[in-house]
Amino acid sequence: MKDRGEVMVFPAGAALLLVAAYPVVLVFWFSLCRKNPIFGVSEFIGLANYQHLFAEPRFWNALKNTVYFTGVSVTLEMILGLSVALLLNRVFRGRGMMRAIILVPWAIPTVVSARMWEWMYNTDFGVLNYLLGTQVNWLGDPFWAMNAAIFMDVWKTTPFVVLLLTAGLQVIPRELYAAARIDGAGGWATFWRVTLPLLLPTILVVLLFRTLDAFRIFDAIYVLTGGGPANTTETLSIYAYKSLFQTLQFGYGSALAVVVFVCVGLISVLYIRLLSGQARR
Amino acid sequence: MSKPKRIPGRSVPPLRWPWLVAFFAGSLTLFGCGSDREPGGEGITTILFKHGKIAGDPAKLAEIIAVFEAENPGIRVKDETLPASTDEQHQFYVINLGAGSADFDVLSMDVIWIAEFARLGWLRDLSHLLGESERQKFFHGPIEAVTYEGKIYAIPWYIDAGLLYFRKDLLQEYGYSPPQTWDELVGIARAVTAQEDELYGFIWQGKQYEGLVCNALEYLWSHGGEVIQNGEVVLNSPQNVKALQFMRDLITEYQVSPALVTTMIEEPTRHIFGNGRALFLRNWPYAWNIFQQEGSAIKGKVGVCKLPAFPGFESASTLGGWQLGVNGNSKHPQAAEKFIEFMTSPRIQKRLALTVGYKPTRIALYNDPELLREQPFFAMLYDVFTHARPRPVSPYYMMITQVLQPEFSAVVSGIRTPSEALQSAHKQIVRVLEMGD
Repeated sequence: MKDRGEVMVFPAGAALLLVAAYPVVLVFWFSLCRKNPIFGVSEFIGLANYQHLFAEPRFWNALKNTVYFTGVSVTLEMILGLSVALLLNRVFRGRGMMRAIILVPWAIPTVVSARMWEWMYNTDFGVLNYLLGTQVNWLGDPFWAMNAAIFMDVWKTTPFVVLLLTAGLQVIPRELYAAARIDGAGGWATFWRVTLPLLLPTILVVLLFRTLDAFRIFDAIYVLTGGGPANTTETLSIYAYKSLFQTLQFGYGSALAVVVFVCVGLISVLYIRLLSGQARR
Repeated sequence: MSKPKRIPGRSVPPLRWPWLVAFFAGSLTLFGCGSDREPGGEGITTILFKHGKIAGDPAKLAEIIAVFEAENPGIRVKDETLPASTDEQHQFYVINLGAGSADFDVLSMDVIWIAEFARLGWLRDLSHLLGESERQKFFHGPIEAVTYEGKIYAIPWYIDAGLLYFRKDLLQEYGYSPPQTWDELVGIARAVTAQEDELYGFIWQGKQYEGLVCNALEYLWSHGGEVIQNGEVVLNSPQNVKALQFMRDLITEYQVSPALVTTMIEEPTRHIFGNGRALFLRNWPYAWNIFQQEGSAIKGKVGVCKLPAFPGFESASTLGGWQLGVNGNSKHPQAAEKFIEFMTSPRIQKRLALTVGYKPTRIALYNDPELLREQPFFAMLYDVFTHARPRPVSPYYMMITQVLQPEFSAVVSGIRTPSEALQSAHKQIVRVLEMGD
């Protein structure tokens, strides 16, 4: 036997196929069916679920909410995360400790921190209104509810961005900074000409991670608002969950899940092309 | 590719797998060959009872099961607790019953699942356990909820219903009696909160979730409205528009309910009222014992009554509570039925009421002198439970509520007018019912 590689990876490959590919294929198949145990139906209907989906305002509303959530939260997390990472990259006493502390929000399970924030946002008991001296109904107001969820997500995931960007910053050779200084570059010029270009691959990877995660947002919003008021915070994942698990519309819910999958796939392709463009340069 | 090389200096790890094999083989003999017959006990039937978390002390349930086993020597009962959240329990049953599981025999079910499970053929018909005269002994609401197409699919185990908590001391101080109508409630709340600082008039549950539907239906019903009547969707009616408008008016027009109610579920409202910060509260009976606990800010200052109604109409409470049914695939239906009859019998319902505070579904127990001596609160509940009505008894209820939740939420948060919301919900529910036909 010349090459036993295929044989050796077969068990692992089969396991992967079974737990990853099979469910994905099944969901694709379900999305082409009308399948609901309560109505006692299970039949192939082609693309009818998608037709219905694209004609439904609730779907477009959920998509709009998801895109808004993703756009705003990822932008804020990147700006904040980069600033904090740059600060933490400086040498100062207690830097290690600061790095550890800043990770705390990220280490708390999302559902727990969402419950915590639910109380902080409480109009009556909430610490937020107490500090601001306001009476804002954070989670009940259609404008504030989504932004409140975004704020919580920014609080929670900025540390993750900081962590990755710090790692990226540390591989930039010190000599480049020294050279820039000798050439008379100020802090600002050094940032634009040295730090940012060399950090760009890391930034793209972080963006990829964060965008994919944010696009699938479920737990934080589900706990905070349940999608309310009046579905103004309902994202695609929440809508898919409600269709799949609460009303058991396996076909329609699968179609929703496929749409999320396709969107996430397109985003990944976009980022990966950007990344490989970077690498070629 | 080259052949895998041995790394020098590292020996093959000691064989672990024989232990694994032994472990699996051992567990197979332990669990794999589970039969109905217990070793050594000829003719003993074991049934499995699935239920949600028992309020209070779980040992009390174990004691009751021990009584059953002593009285029925041929039957053993094993009980297993499901996750606390109702949604997760529903999911568990859907997955397992949908797959035709016969692993459990007796299951406890929320009042809104019975029609759904019955239509899917997941439950055994229990009509023979509850004859016409026997049905009369239960509150009407739960019996309606367990009946699907004329047959009984579960026996009401314990009951729950929405009711009005009020501050007895404040009403007395200002010379009011508990409100009979919604207008009276608004009047009292406005008058008292005008005098008292830091006091909300009336709080309830308005977050987009199942509890909002429970709240809203109480306004619709107490204004002569309904969602579905004789299989016909009647949601978009002038009565319902007015009743929903009143809910919004509580916040904006009358200003007796703070805007924060639109994000509230049961517990936060219970906290606000429990801290003495509200005059009226709509909640379930569970809150009573917490209010009356040692150290509670409002101990001895709380009263309850049935919810108000609009003038000329009857008060109505949304029915909650749990029912016991038999898995349609159960291998031991006779034993399971026997256990359900026992669990829902007057003496066991009384015992559950005394030990863990479950409210009996049998009317006669609300006259039981011993029970009333121990739990005087029950006397006040009788009136509430006779006015308890089930949410639309339909196999498609889970879809109906998914339509109602965002629309009701839109009304109470002022995003849509009641007529817009009801029109939209009406159309969607008609479509759901059409899909079912």
